[in-house]
Amino acid sequence: MSIEGQTIHRETFVVNLGPQHPATHGVLRIKLTMDGEYIDDAEPVIGYGHRMHEKMGENRTYAKFLPNTARMDYVAAMFNTHGYVCAVERLAGITVPERAEYIRVVTAELNRLASHLLWAGAFLIDLGGFTPLLYTFDDREHILDLLESVTGARLTFCYYRFGGVCNDVDDQFVAGTREFIARLRSRMPMYHALITKNIIFRKRCEGIGIIPAETCRRYGATGPVVRGSGIAYDVRKAEPYSAYPQLNFNIPVYPEADCMARYLVRMDEMMESMRIIEQALDLMQPGPVMAEKVPKMLKPPKGDCYFNVESARGSFGVRAISDGTDKAYRLKLRSPCFSNMSLFQECSRGMLLADALALLGSLDLVIPDMDR
Amino acid sequence: MTIQDLTTRLGEIAQGGATPPVTPTEGQPAAPVAPVLETDHAKRGTDLDVTVQPDRIQDAARIMDQGGYTLEAITGVDWIADKQYEVVYDFTSFASGKRVAVRTRVPRDIPALPSIHAIFPGANWHERETHDFFGIKFSGHPQLTPLLLPEDATFHPLRKDFGT
Amino acid sequence: MDEQTQVPPGLIHFAAMDQILDLARANSLWPMTFGLACCAIEMMATGAARFDMARFGCEVFRPSPRQSDVMIVCGTINKKMAPAVVTLYDQMPEPKWVIAMGNCAISGGPFVFPGQYNVVEGVDKLFPVDVYIPGCPPRPEALIEGFLELEKKLTGKRRWPVAKAQ
Repeated sequence: MSIEGQTIHRETFVVNLGPQHPATHGVLRIKLTMDGEYIDDAEPVIGYGHRMHEKMGENRTYAKFLPNTARMDYVAAMFNTHGYVCAVERLAGITVPERAEYIRVVTAELNRLASHLLWAGAFLIDLGGFTPLLYTFDDREHILDLLESVTGARLTFCYYRFGGVCNDVDDQFVAGTREFIARLRSRMPMYHALITKNIIFRKRCEGIGIIPAETCRRYGATGPVVRGSGIAYDVRKAEPYSAYPQLNFNIPVYPEADCMARYLVRMDEMMESMRIIEQALDLMQPGPVMAEKVPKMLKPPKGDCYFNVESARGSFGVRAISDGTDKAYRLKLRSPCFSNMSLFQECSRGMLLADALALLGSLDLVIPDMDR
Repeated sequence: MTIQDLTTRLGEIAQGGATPPVTPTEGQPAAPVAPVLETDHAKRGTDLDVTVQPDRIQDAARIMDQGGYTLEAITGVDWIADKQYEVVYDFTSFASGKRVAVRTRVPRDIPALPSIHAIFPGANWHERETHDFFGIKFSGHPQLTPLLLPEDATFHPLRKDFGT
Repeated sequence: MDEQTQVPPGLIHFAAMDQILDLARANSLWPMTFGLACCAIEMMATGAARFDMARFGCEVFRPSPRQSDVMIVCGTINKKMAPAVVTLYDQMPEPKWVIAMGNCAISGGPFVFPGQYNVVEGVDKLFPVDVYIPGCPPRPEALIEGFLELEKKLTGKRRWPVAKAQ
């Protein structure tokens, strides 16, 4: 590089971001090669939250692995359990009663709301705004109360079983859910006034952290990340599962591909989730919530299958391989965060460090889900 | 690219790669399986199940790339009874929602496979993870160092003989 | 407690002064913003609107170990993370306290099985722990109870009467 004939030496230096850093949402390390305030290279170093889930899937029975699934993506635990039970049900050929499918949809979408609310609060903290967290957590607590009344857990739900769900929901839950949705709907304008219209927030998000659609495809990104890049891909529509084919909802898509687009996708998704829950509650008919004749010791026939669900972060996939015994021969857990994170190195090149943290936050990472 | 087009194009490279996708137990001969198999999505979760030789995996990835598919996952499986590792590449299409599994098998004593990171950069981490867990070497990979395991890890925990 | 971790007794004691200092410390325990896994979400919930840790003076989450008094180890520590956690503990100035939140921090929790290769089975293998809070994850109420227990350890008396089961 030279200016007016003088050679300027370009000097870079290496900084560690993490593994303990508030902006990494847990234990993620990013090896930054910085050129002043600008990022020359950002190499994510992951594995600080690796908890051997795939190994455990092989050495315990199918049912005993169920609680593990909730501890991968603990912010949206229902989806992991959903993907896992559906994969095993597909392998073993178990049909789930209709009411159980609707209950699964309602609880999963409530979990999606809780996850997006938590994300909105945490993302704003990344950008330097503390107040929205207190509001989003307030709403989130109401969801957790509802889910706790049926699942018994606040965070690490283990509610779905092979062939259905373990508890039926009561009228109190249905009434409480409707009441909550009315409350959250009335609060959405407040969120838009508090966050979306905030000029500092807009300046930090609009045009920042562009992820081109083609990059999403080459890296295998899914979820709100691709929908914020103009790709209308949602597993609930692309490969309909559970009770989703009976429900009417839209996929919010924004073509801008920046942090703002990903934020707006999630905010719109919350509105869609509320629509889904209301429809599912309307369509839910009394009936059994567990399939009959599901053996206590499940031994699916030899074979393998793939199942994926639309988690709050993207496509969560399970490849289950059975050798006919009561334990899986191999259980591959495809986490959406893993692929979403892998594009960070390419997309953050040349960005300001502060902007890269906005990009990192907008990917909505859950580290133990990424590391499994 | 439709599933029919993919069947034809993948069929060209899959010739001779007739390893069965599901391993039989010892003593029972495997039923011959066609290298390109159209599967029922509702039962298997994939629309197409393709078996190729390890040296054709880059060709298969290139076809999937041209078809507009995205790489979702790479799964290693240790078929210790067959003395083989299986590697399953799961592809999906954003446009059609179709799903294709491309399988290949490598011998357990020389576990080497060409890397597809140049075609799908997302494969970089998936291959590193598979190397972590199984010790499968992806030739041409720029950085085959432990990803999820500690930096100095030399063990491969998802091998079936790990810890014995 | 071995000799290295024991705080040497001072030559001169100011009994009343010490008590006041302890009271002040107990009422302004600053935890470190340090999340490892699932329990961190419950820790966030404890700090947020409904549970409001500010009532007990421990809402000032500090991102730097140099400014914090309490390390809440909330989550699984694996072998890759363990050196970093020890560094963080060493960077905290004295006096410092450690709360092991959740089963993973206590004993490795659900991730301990024969042949496990990656999890540190309990944070007390790395450094001393003052309060253990069981649960997977513990509820926010449990974390608050843990803080009250830590305050009791500091001042010798409990701030809040124990709630009777109804």
